[in-house]
Amino acid sequence: MSWCGLDEQSFHLCCQLLLQQSEQLNDGWSWEVVQGSDEGYLKKTALRVVNINPSRKWDLEGLNSESETQSCQDTERDQSAPVSTDDADDFKGNFDEEVVEDDSVCSEAAGSSLVLQYEYHILFSCSYSVPVLYFRAFTLEGRSLSLEEVWSSVHPNFRLRLQSSPLNTITLQEHPLLGQPFFMLHPCRTEEFMRPVLQEAQHRHRPVNFVLTWLSVVGPVVGLEVPLKYCTLLRPAASPD
Amino acid sequence: MADDKDVLRDVWFGRIPTCFTLNQDEVTEREAEPYYLLLPRVSYLTLVTDKVKKHFHKVMRAEDVEEMWFEYEGTPLKWHYPIGVLFDLHASNTVLPWSIIVHFKNFPDRDLLHCPSNSVIEAHFMSSIKEADALKHKSQVVNDMQKKDHKQLWMGLQNDKFDQFWAMNRKLMEYSTEDGGFRYIPFRIYQTTSDRPFIQKLFRPVSADGSMHTLGDLLKEMDPTALPNEGGQKRYQVVIHGIEPLLETPLQWLSEHLSHPDNFLHICIIPTPTD
Repeated sequence: MSWCGLDEQSFHLCCQLLLQQSEQLNDGWSWEVVQGSDEGYLKKTALRVVNINPSRKWDLEGLNSESETQSCQDTERDQSAPVSTDDADDFKGNFDEEVVEDDSVCSEAAGSSLVLQYEYHILFSCSYSVPVLYFRAFTLEGRSLSLEEVWSSVHPNFRLRLQSSPLNTITLQEHPLLGQPFFMLHPCRTEEFMRPVLQEAQHRHRPVNFVLTWLSVVGPVVGLEVPLKYCTLLRPAASPD
Repeated sequence: MADDKDVLRDVWFGRIPTCFTLNQDEVTEREAEPYYLLLPRVSYLTLVTDKVKKHFHKVMRAEDVEEMWFEYEGTPLKWHYPIGVLFDLHASNTVLPWSIIVHFKNFPDRDLLHCPSNSVIEAHFMSSIKEADALKHKSQVVNDMQKKDHKQLWMGLQNDKFDQFWAMNRKLMEYSTEDGGFRYIPFRIYQTTSDRPFIQKLFRPVSADGSMHTLGDLLKEMDPTALPNEGGQKRYQVVIHGIEPLLETPLQWLSEHLSHPDNFLHICIIPTPTD
């Protein structure tokens, strides 16, 4: 079984490539340097409109057993399943979201909709040799979201799977470079779910940007969409298969 | 293998006499007496302060009580660092008992992690052990353990049971004789003079030529300003569990004997007192 992690140098190369593409696509990523060190991280901020139903607090302790072997690959597939508005009723209306793409959007969302400011950071974990997604979210008044509120803004399809994992997957942690509380998607399974993707790419002799591919898997869980255009930019000459 | 068992015991049973005082701005129904405790260095503030909470709740109305947090001389104390690290970093070379201020409102959530229950501490602790084992053994030891083994590590810490903890923890300290040490040493270097919370990178216990890396070697690479300058003047103290180990001490030995229960070697760099 080959090791499918990433070393720090490759991480920086992947980030540089992602930054170049982000610039072309106007996707808003930037590189932040930590003062007095050679380290840094990718950063992006975005506005999200989220409907949070306060009557439905998620019980973090109560859900524990579904399938622990469920890989994040499966979660990715679930994401493509369309959610009709009828189905949404089954979730007791606790999720509804749209990404604000231009200034003209922000009105209709009914009920207790909230405009939230999300800040996403991508850091390198030398312990696990993989990238890690940190994020925090504020209301427009500057109040930071609690862990419960963050969970309730995660799509129910993801939520059931994630909360069955050993470390609850989204936790509040200290940002290792800033020392401030951030939410984090735990990296201990990343290498495992990236392995088949990388092996397939190697098999087909296709270039893969580890950070970009990984981000397209974990980002949507917390509302961070990765435009498909990144992929078409990456290999403009690829045959359609 | 860890064999200097006395050292392990001394580390485990290290205590800090502490005086908890209620923040002056809290609303109370009558005067709040200070509360004294011997805090275990290797534990976490929120894990060992139930009595402190109860003590102050008695003089407060329920509606004036929010999540408890701690402060030392204006610095909010991060419960997710081991108690000994907080003391060495912020209060070394001060008079005992350690004087901590207790707050029940205005939780500084831009500085501190919330700690609503012991299960949050457990998750944090197990996550550190996992990360340390990723560094030491590519996660092989911790992944081979069963859920009850993980529980044994946590219960050992929570209930202050040295034997229960070490019966399991010794597995996390093993390595093959041909390797001569762990894959990498799980360490964190803290400095109050830096905005950065800590330094954590990859560092091997054995050098390319086969000699054992020392504490001095680690600092030379990670934080050279911590070492005495060319004139031999010592500007900083390098403190682990309240003592200054010799810089010539092999890092592998330190990792096996002076790591906290979370399996990280926490190293504090503090300015040498001038008086």
